[in-house]
Amino acid sequence: MTTRRNFLQSSVLGSGALALSPSFNHLLGAVKPDPHPHRFIFIRKSNGNIPSQFSLPTFSEEQKKKDKDKEAFEADLDKHELPQWMRELDGHKENMTILNGISMEMSDGGHYSFSGCLGAYKAGRNTISGIKRTTVDFELAKLFPSPFDHVELSLASGSGTVAFRTGIVSGFSAPAMHQRNFCYADPQTAYEELFKSVTNTSAVDSDNVLLSYLHEQEGRRLKGLDGKERTKISNHVDSIQSIRQRNEKVASLTETISKNLPKIDKIHANGGPNASLPEKQDAFTDVMLAALISGLTNVVTYTMDDLGTPITTLPGNKGQVDLHRLGHSRDYELRDIVKASHVAQIAKIVTKLKSVPEGSGTMFDNTTIIYFPETGAGHHGPNTEAPMMIMTGKKSKLDIAGRFIRLPFHATEGHKTLGNWYTTLLNACGNPIEHYGDLDLAMSRKKMPQTGPIARFLA
Amino acid sequence: MSKPTELYLPLPKLFLGAVVTVLACLPCVGSAKVKAAGLFIPPKIERLFDTYCFSCHDEEIQKKDVRLDRLDTLALDTRLNLLNKMQEQLFFKEMPPKKKKQPSEAQRAFLVEWVSSELKQHNASKLEEKLKRPEFGNYADHDKLFSGEYAHLKGFTRDRHWLVSEFIFNAKINRLIDHPSIRTIDGVKMDVIGDNGVNVSKRFGGHNLRQSITNPFLLPSSIGVRYYDTTALSAGHLLMMISNAKKIATYMSSEKAMKAHYPAMHRIMKMELAHREILASRERFLNAYIENVAQDIYKERNEALLPEFVRIEVNEVRVPLDSKGNPRAKEDNMELLRTRYDRQDIEAIYRGIQKYKQEDVSYEEVIEKCERDWFNSGVHEKRLLGRIMLMKIMGARWDMSLIYEDVGKQNMALPPYRSLSESEMQVINASIQEHRKKGDRYKYIIEKCMNDWDVSFMADRIAAGQAGEKQIDDLVDELFAKIHEREPTEQEAKENIALTKTYMKTLGNQEAIAKLIETLILSSELVYRSEFGQGPTDEDGRRMMSSRDASYALANALIDSSPDKELVVAVKEGKLSTREDYRREVIRMLKRRDQYYVIDESVQKTGFNSSITNLPIRKLRFFREFFGYTKTMTLFKDDARFGAGRYDDSKGRLVDEADMLVAHILAKDRNVFEELLTTEKFYVYHSGDNEAMKAASDRLRKIYDYFKAHDWENFTEDELYEHWDFINKMKMMGTVFPNFLKDDRRRSNWIRSFKTQMSSLVIRFEKGQKAAAPYDSTGMAYWNKGNASTRTGQQMRGPEVTTFFGIDYRNWDYPTHQPAKMSNRKGMLTHPAWLIAHSLNLETDPVRRGKWIREKLLAGTIPDVPITVDAVIPEDHHKTLRQRLEKRTGDVYCWKCHQKMDPLGLPFEIYDDFGRFRTVESIEHPENLIKEADRQASPQNGINVAQYKTLPVEASSLIKGTGDEKIDGEVRDALELAERLAKSPRVRQSIIRHAFRYFMGRNEVLSDSKTLIDAEKSYLDNAGSFDAVIVSLLTSDSFIFRKSDNN
Repeated sequence: MTTRRNFLQSSVLGSGALALSPSFNHLLGAVKPDPHPHRFIFIRKSNGNIPSQFSLPTFSEEQKKKDKDKEAFEADLDKHELPQWMRELDGHKENMTILNGISMEMSDGGHYSFSGCLGAYKAGRNTISGIKRTTVDFELAKLFPSPFDHVELSLASGSGTVAFRTGIVSGFSAPAMHQRNFCYADPQTAYEELFKSVTNTSAVDSDNVLLSYLHEQEGRRLKGLDGKERTKISNHVDSIQSIRQRNEKVASLTETISKNLPKIDKIHANGGPNASLPEKQDAFTDVMLAALISGLTNVVTYTMDDLGTPITTLPGNKGQVDLHRLGHSRDYELRDIVKASHVAQIAKIVTKLKSVPEGSGTMFDNTTIIYFPETGAGHHGPNTEAPMMIMTGKKSKLDIAGRFIRLPFHATEGHKTLGNWYTTLLNACGNPIEHYGDLDLAMSRKKMPQTGPIARFLA
Repeated sequence: MSKPTELYLPLPKLFLGAVVTVLACLPCVGSAKVKAAGLFIPPKIERLFDTYCFSCHDEEIQKKDVRLDRLDTLALDTRLNLLNKMQEQLFFKEMPPKKKKQPSEAQRAFLVEWVSSELKQHNASKLEEKLKRPEFGNYADHDKLFSGEYAHLKGFTRDRHWLVSEFIFNAKINRLIDHPSIRTIDGVKMDVIGDNGVNVSKRFGGHNLRQSITNPFLLPSSIGVRYYDTTALSAGHLLMMISNAKKIATYMSSEKAMKAHYPAMHRIMKMELAHREILASRERFLNAYIENVAQDIYKERNEALLPEFVRIEVNEVRVPLDSKGNPRAKEDNMELLRTRYDRQDIEAIYRGIQKYKQEDVSYEEVIEKCERDWFNSGVHEKRLLGRIMLMKIMGARWDMSLIYEDVGKQNMALPPYRSLSESEMQVINASIQEHRKKGDRYKYIIEKCMNDWDVSFMADRIAAGQAGEKQIDDLVDELFAKIHEREPTEQEAKENIALTKTYMKTLGNQEAIAKLIETLILSSELVYRSEFGQGPTDEDGRRMMSSRDASYALANALIDSSPDKELVVAVKEGKLSTREDYRREVIRMLKRRDQYYVIDESVQKTGFNSSITNLPIRKLRFFREFFGYTKTMTLFKDDARFGAGRYDDSKGRLVDEADMLVAHILAKDRNVFEELLTTEKFYVYHSGDNEAMKAASDRLRKIYDYFKAHDWENFTEDELYEHWDFINKMKMMGTVFPNFLKDDRRRSNWIRSFKTQMSSLVIRFEKGQKAAAPYDSTGMAYWNKGNASTRTGQQMRGPEVTTFFGIDYRNWDYPTHQPAKMSNRKGMLTHPAWLIAHSLNLETDPVRRGKWIREKLLAGTIPDVPITVDAVIPEDHHKTLRQRLEKRTGDVYCWKCHQKMDPLGLPFEIYDDFGRFRTVESIEHPENLIKEADRQASPQNGINVAQYKTLPVEASSLIKGTGDEKIDGEVRDALELAERLAKSPRVRQSIIRHAFRYFMGRNEVLSDSKTLIDAEKSYLDNAGSFDAVIVSLLTSDSFIFRKSDNN
């Protein structure tokens, strides 16, 4: 059994001699990856999720009433129809969970929650000091190491401006407290960076020359140094060597990467200024799948949209409304159209991973996809609810598949928060943390118990 | 035995000598993977074990699973672990337990010496490194440090690499990427230091590249001095720096940057850049005028060469209807139109309208003509569809007359066609004729031409050969000067030239230069401050730093940045080599007031606060870290318990005003410590600019006085509009506007907002208050100038800050001149920011508050919470927090440590966890609830929280063992305690010890005794000047002199 104490011990041993590092060191622990690791795909979206849009159209009257009154209940998905916008996942109901009733008040941030929705804290106005802890995706990446450890993709504009970003830009996940991750903002950049060992060997060669030169130079500085001063420089020399070894590892995957290299349309060149939203979504999914299948990463965080993501090229957006305006409107039809475009990508991911053999089953058996809102149940909250959809494979350590689950409402008995949900994920995967994330202050005020995992979800 | 030099120990001289010999010689901690060796335990040690240890740790009893009678049989690793524990327990006097028989000082020293020597044999002692950490700073004996007994010891700091702090790193990055750190302060735009570039909006200095740089050198979030020289570079740092280096290198090697800043780089790239310029010029020209060029070449045949135009299918756009089925009013916000959609598309559409819209041409015809143009030019099908769709939406939903007017106003039309030079036109015409095929769209023709020219230029460059040795040599010099702020050595130059050539073999010149930049950035030199002695050694084995190292040491000590111009000149002229030189420069830098600094961008960003100062920034940052009130920014509270709106909106202002108060006291620089601990004057909702605040408050007075003479409560829209001239003059945003009477849509909202504003003013003035806090109760958008402005020109937010001070607007004469007296407050420890920072989410925290005072003001020590202790105060909703705490910590085992903390923290129970003064404590539990809160809380209506049963606050306390008998004894509450603390020499000395650590980056040891004594004397001799303390520290032997590890 993994206890908190032996988990911490093994974590420290895993990072070996470099245990002093502040944040990214676990990346270098990925020398012996699990042959069949668990994979996580976190899909963030903006504008919240309206609870009624996650209700099943074939609910009985009693279920409808409970759902409306926000009372806890469960329903088998195979006995119901899915809402129209989810229909592309009809064939995967046995892997699906519609989860409602989780609150995320502790990450409330108005229009955006930035890293807060993955770290269960308030990120304020996205300042560095507002990043309170390692986000849950990075925590999971530590448990399932890989050469790239964690990959973040994003179609967010990152500000109020309606525009796509391009290149490598600041992301929303956090590898550690006060550390902001980077992300790939367009499919071509992600392609070039992730598959560089195959697509751009001269860049890789020059990186190797750089590291080799640096290793020699820094090694020379050790001359005449003793004690702590020697450690300060020798740590740097060792770090360079570790990165060289990691690069060698990535190089060893060249054949696999070549085999799975996706085809990226030339419309995505130079950041893809003419690429439509569906084209960008499709291409990102292709890149993500190739990275997962090649074993470059086991954890992906993908921001499908924020309030600045242009959606005018989305088929069905007749009014050319932007997401911010949509958030302030009651245009539920367009909300469904936006979500349906996300579901199309999720269906593509599930279908593809189910087609890739792994062990005695498929890659999807070891995969969990979490599709969730960054701002609870609406454009800027309320955060008392945060409907989400989860897809889990056969070997999932969560016992939730095939069900619609509504948990008790916020600050009532038995209620579960985002912190409970993330604790569940971590506990299920081997991190025995007692509780992940900030506490809900309304629950605290009412002296209600609120720590730990959602025990009934643990398989 | 070597003579004692660096001494950490709070033990008598005999003991010191014995232990220090061992400790001071111990090299760093290392892994003890040595094969097991025998252990000889001298008989005297055996006897001491027998007398003091075996009663709890032998064959029969093994308390905490520790057994000492079989040390010699343990495996080496296990034994060394145990010996390390023993060394610590003996050193910190935690063993034997207090209630057991104690060894004499000599016996204890003997034991420690033996344990230490055993550990030293295997290079396995952990104590020395531990004692260098900030949390062990107070273990150096306070009385000894200030007794004078050790003042003869020569102070010095070890030669060291010191990892840059987050602030120094920010300054380096800003310099490398030429980040415009600009703020408008008091109406003047100026360069500031301390911008970390996290702001998103360009309006507030945001910068995409700057924002994407990750700072790997962030300091710990703990309260107290945090920046020490003990941290080593790690793989985590390097991984982040690899990503940073690529971004910085891309910028530095960009065409724009090299033209502006790097002539040597530019020389290497000159030919390539000239080619690019020609290519760019041709591309620009053809993108704009290819139709004209083609027409000139092909005349009437041109049309036939174009592809067949087929119109795109677009759904009709309906006019939107309101809920009653009537057409909605047309959109009229042109700025919104121009910013909501892609700039490129809007420009194309505006240009098309300007080109084709005539009286006799309908809008539909304009759309068709635009579509034809875009089709021929090769606009991507999807973009074309988007543009046509957008044009149709504009036609259906926008007021087209306004759009036509805006098109004229914006004038995005291209200048009239004019051909390029004859030679250029010959090249262009020839290329078009060579590449154009029937049916080609213009864009495709351009692509083919560009590709052709590009290949041809590249061949020219290959023929011209690679960059020459001299050019690369200059490049290396240039990059060293920028990145490392020095010249390369001969060897460095040679090696980097060779490296650059290697890069150039596989990469293009520009990429190779970028790679060289990456290499230099990833060098440890960029991120380690170098502070090494140089030149002749004095009789004590000490050397002064080189002038260059000294200039960085001083600049980093005071401004978290590279040396300023004067320091650079001093180094060049050899005027930074004596103590007097240091003194001159330190005094100059402390007096300088023309440079502004950003104090904290997270405070700036939370509510548009200014958070700036023109004091040398590290003077202020010391007290920020020391008091730790900034932790308020990361502590979250329940809005329902705050009861005055959104708590998060107010905390930035609260911390900003705490900074202002500290800066105000530091600027006066008289009795600084006493003032900080006892001032009764605070900033509350104030920008720091007295005149501006008075003007803003007077404006509200005028508005109130003007309308109170009218029946404003019953105003109709028309009646309100009669006062437009006054409203306009007073800039009452959100009330009425010039089109007021013509606009049907906003009337009700605008009259309502006027009445809201007036109602709020009534509360603030109706009881004859002399002045009111200058905020606008409506319209908090940043452009609303109804509020007073911050010093950086933003709307001042966070009026809820008054509720922390328990201010009731109904009875408050707003003091326009601040800091101003606030009741029930005395010094920073009663500032709500400090009180919140030292509280929990839902409760006060007397333990943490007491621990802070014990450690920071009394130089005391508190051991870590034992791992076996569950440090949670039990719930009991019939008792106050104090009663529950006393029940938990009152037993002998807990009280051993808690007696050092709780009595010092409990006097602060006169404030709740929001720092609000109180005489009763709400026992917040559902069973004690009397009345739920009204959720519609607002600052002017006071605090509106749920009512619970209460119990009286008991804040008196019996204080003991502070080391100053004038502090010890019964104390009534925090106000009395603050007075006592402020008068205490021990408190003064404790603050100076922390200042020492802050400016030296390490813990003080006995050889720093003279430095500390001198600093205190300077403070007293200069009427309590903190500047005098800084000058004393930065000109002390401890700062000036360095010693190698081997000396």
